[in-house]
Amino acid sequence: MQVRVRAFARLREAIGGDLTLEVPEGATMSRLLAAVGETSEQAGEALFEESGELRGYVILMHNGRRVRRAEAGTLTLADGDEVALFPPVAGG
Amino acid sequence: MLTDRGLDRYQRQVALFGEEAQERLGCARVVIVGAGGLGCPVALYLAAAGIGEVRLVDGDVVDRTNLNRQVLHADRDVGRAKVESAAEKIRAQNPEIRVVATRATLDEGNAAGLAGGADLIVDATDNFAARYILNRVALHAGVPLVHGAVRGFDGQATTIIPGKTACLECIFPVTPPGEDLIPVVGTTPGIIGLVQANEAIKYITGTGDLLTDRLLVWDGRAATTAILPVERQDDCSACGNGRC
Repeated sequence: MQVRVRAFARLREAIGGDLTLEVPEGATMSRLLAAVGETSEQAGEALFEESGELRGYVILMHNGRRVRRAEAGTLTLADGDEVALFPPVAGG
Repeated sequence: MLTDRGLDRYQRQVALFGEEAQERLGCARVVIVGAGGLGCPVALYLAAAGIGEVRLVDGDVVDRTNLNRQVLHADRDVGRAKVESAAEKIRAQNPEIRVVATRATLDEGNAAGLAGGADLIVDATDNFAARYILNRVALHAGVPLVHGAVRGFDGQATTIIPGKTACLECIFPVTPPGEDLIPVVGTTPGIIGLVQANEAIKYITGTGDLLTDRLLVWDGRAATTAILPVERQDDCSACGNGRC
């Protein structure tokens, strides 16, 4: 199935724009995030800590709804879903 | 009542939202924390709009590396306190308002005093430690907070109404990493700062729909904005579980 990924700020730079990824039926948000991280070294670094954990400050959205970190492992995606990934900026 | 001078000065705004709303702007006290990339456009446009009292808070002095984006500061201001440099420019823009410049770096000890009595607080800081302090001060005092932040060509803004909408820690429970040198083009804080100033004007005049429970995300490379819905979190360490 296909899931659309919208990336913002540094993550968008790392990925190079929006993506449509092919993931297995019933894939979870965590599975999708891993797939996004595998698209390039920069994308992997932008999303994950060296430990492999998702960077804590990245905001996850699923079809326009905020997804809590704890839900990522169990939230299953469907064909045509949209996931948005937003790493906030901090400067002023 | 607006004076004849005021009716002239604010003619285009009175035509837009009426004399009473203009008077509300004239009675409003707004604290802008940060007189840098965001704070400069926020202060200039709020002064021009006729906000009665603009308070500027910043502990830094102007550095030459600030000048690409901190547009109230000029070459001759290098080495001068940012709040003094900014206050001089906005007083010249609008001598009919009160401008209070406080040279201080916001911390937990002074934040409540610096923001005290304000009708609205603008977060024009450059780090999340200061932002979290401001968020908690705003929640405690029940004063709206308009958040903005930038990096590179990217920016974000949202408006927080304490006790009603998502607060800064609901939206950003984990701070993004700090950087020694944050790359930025001056137009990014210009755009986000004006979104913040626009929110302040809307809140005070009761005009339009605020950016509450919504995070505006600006991508200057693509010239697009996105709105991400955000919501209060029951377990928010700043405003959850009846804390606010």
